[in-house]
Amino acid sequence: MQLNTQFMWETFLDVLQGIPVTLKIVVVTLLVSSPLGFLMAVSKSGEGRIGRRIIVAYVSVIRGTPVVLQILFLYSLLPTVLNYLIKEVLGSSYNIFNLDPIFYAYVVFILNTTAVLSEVFRSALSTVNRGQMEAALSIGMSRPQAYVRIIMPQALVAALPNICNTTVNLLKSTSLAFMMTVKDITAIAKIDASFGYNYLEAYLVIFVVYIFLCSAVQGVFHLTEQGVAVYKKPVVS
Amino acid sequence: MRPFHPQFILEVLPQLVLYLPVTAAIVVGTVFFGSLFGILLAAGRIRRGRAGRILANLYIYVIRCVPSIVLLFLVYYGLPELLNTFGVNINDAGKGFFVITTFSLLFAASMAEVFRSAYEAVDKGQREAAVSVGMTEFQAFYRIILPQCIRVAIPNFTNALVNLMKEGSLAYTIGLIDIMGKGQLIIGQNHGSYSLEVYLALFVLYWVLTILIEKGAGLSEQRLAPDRNRRGGLSKCS
Repeated sequence: MQLNTQFMWETFLDVLQGIPVTLKIVVVTLLVSSPLGFLMAVSKSGEGRIGRRIIVAYVSVIRGTPVVLQILFLYSLLPTVLNYLIKEVLGSSYNIFNLDPIFYAYVVFILNTTAVLSEVFRSALSTVNRGQMEAALSIGMSRPQAYVRIIMPQALVAALPNICNTTVNLLKSTSLAFMMTVKDITAIAKIDASFGYNYLEAYLVIFVVYIFLCSAVQGVFHLTEQGVAVYKKPVVS
Repeated sequence: MRPFHPQFILEVLPQLVLYLPVTAAIVVGTVFFGSLFGILLAAGRIRRGRAGRILANLYIYVIRCVPSIVLLFLVYYGLPELLNTFGVNINDAGKGFFVITTFSLLFAASMAEVFRSAYEAVDKGQREAAVSVGMTEFQAFYRIILPQCIRVAIPNFTNALVNLMKEGSLAYTIGLIDIMGKGQLIIGQNHGSYSLEVYLALFVLYWVLTILIEKGAGLSEQRLAPDRNRRGGLSKCS
């Protein structure tokens, strides 16, 4: 077995251009999904029965089906539906098929990650003693104030390891974005490999790139965990 | 707007169900080989030896970071060449071989964690007590430790199993015909139409499978709960 090292180096340089795309999907997804997931977690423990049923069903379907399937389904559904809406309903002449496919990637991964995060936040919220909320309300805070100042800082400590896990899984699932013709790391490697059937070399390269990216994500979360857990440290007098 | 034929979902479901055994075979094969390898990894982490622990930790770390599809392609394109250098020819091996190899490698890492946390959840005193009443080391493990481990391990194992089943759908990308692969074939036979209907049918199948696995796990957890028997015993004593 011999590896084409020249090709591997060139692929590595090409793949570097895909890293921003991959990270963009991860960051945008997390930024949109976190507040949505949090709202879901809060309303799941709330009173509305119909709302709760819908959320439970949504989370169950998303978590019970493969991401590939969600990607394939939405990628064959969304463009035509959007095209119909824009052409027929809005009467605009905008051509939806010129839209950067990364938007479809955002939609799929946001739908997916929101469901996962809502579970993460729900379990994190349940670790905070109920008395904390009552105490905050009793001294005259409003409910949003109580959440932002009292509940969330405590829940975040319990949630961070799981959020880290979710982010790592999200990073890994973005490797499927090539199915929506997004030019991320995996897509670039596949394209490079297909010229000379150097699949083995190309996948070895992105194997290493993903390990590096994943380590970076875990490093960032490790630092954040130390920052967030500040109130757990003993006070030095 | 593209046409949508809901009745095609019902038409296509029986055709997909025929390929459930393939999906199940992949899962069962992976659980078997992955668990064997997972036990080795867990032993490497629990045992004293430093080299074993470092190797096991490194393996689990790397596997956790790699997307399944990348590993699947690496195994599919790389393993035949790697084994060829040792004079072993597996170019005729079926697609299922590569799929089970890949997912066993992945599944072993999560199983190692499941085994380790289950083993550590059981109090050390249990083994000591068992040995002190005259059981052998093996009896103590088999009769006392193992039943407790299994109950602790069930929720994590279920999670890993559901993930495995979902990731297994990637097998179609190297041409294995399981329910996902059959779905793609049907779409191909119809020149790309009916894709929404087929995907919806697949959604239903995977969702039902997940729910069945979770329900089954919940039931077996209940059966293994110690409280059921103990409560009766205690009331007799008092």
